[in-house]
Amino acid sequence: MHAAVRGVIEAAEDSPAHVSILDTEASTEHLLVSTAKHAHAMFAVVEPYFTSLETGRRINLLARDLGIERVALIVNKVRSQEDLEAVDAFAEEEGLEVVGTVPYDDCFHEAERVSRAPLDFAPDAEAMIAIRRLAPRLLNARGT
Amino acid sequence: MKLAIAGKGGAGKTSITGTLARVFAQSGYQVLAVDNDMNPNLSLTVGIPAELMTELPVFGPEIVRKRDDGGYDLAMTLEEICAAYSLCAPDDITLLTANQPTQAGTG
Repeated sequence: MHAAVRGVIEAAEDSPAHVSILDTEASTEHLLVSTAKHAHAMFAVVEPYFTSLETGRRINLLARDLGIERVALIVNKVRSQEDLEAVDAFAEEEGLEVVGTVPYDDCFHEAERVSRAPLDFAPDAEAMIAIRRLAPRLLNARGT
Repeated sequence: MKLAIAGKGGAGKTSITGTLARVFAQSGYQVLAVDNDMNPNLSLTVGIPAELMTELPVFGPEIVRKRDDGGYDLAMTLEEICAAYSLCAPDDITLLTANQPTQAGTG
């Protein structure tokens, strides 16, 4: 199964007009990254507390071992300035890139409750605004 | 550009991935979204109606063949894979969902 997913990502169009985006397996970290071998960039979604940031650090190491050009963190569920400072301190200490942060937002939970896409359910929610701002940054700086 | 989104369950990985796919598509990119999560909910977060989730087409190991050296090649072109297994999501996103063996095993 990993070979199938890996093959699809390898075959995906690589042109300025195309973006492919893989939602990797959430379970075993060492297997999840192998499906992403042919991705240009991997972003680890983490929460602003230590054990979650630690997961991000391990994903970063595994993805770099696979040869992925760019690995960075997306920090979700940020509630305060203190959260941001803790994340920045961790990232600096570990030499990790934080590509963006998304504030804690009930819209995700509420959208799920009514089985709708968050972007359709609450297009103007703070988290949606943050993700719109984040998206182009994921495409920047390939290989830098 | 080919992006992979990783993270532990509960961190918001799938919600963010689905929303990013929509944002890219609305910005004019042609988007291929691939769901390999054990709990495949990407369809929901990109905006496929929940009632279609039970009929979600899934791809599996049949799309690859083993080489003599033990590696794998795709047995079909990506176009053929998309024609057979993809769903068109809002904003013209092409959504591919990987079959999850653990789910099949529990059925």
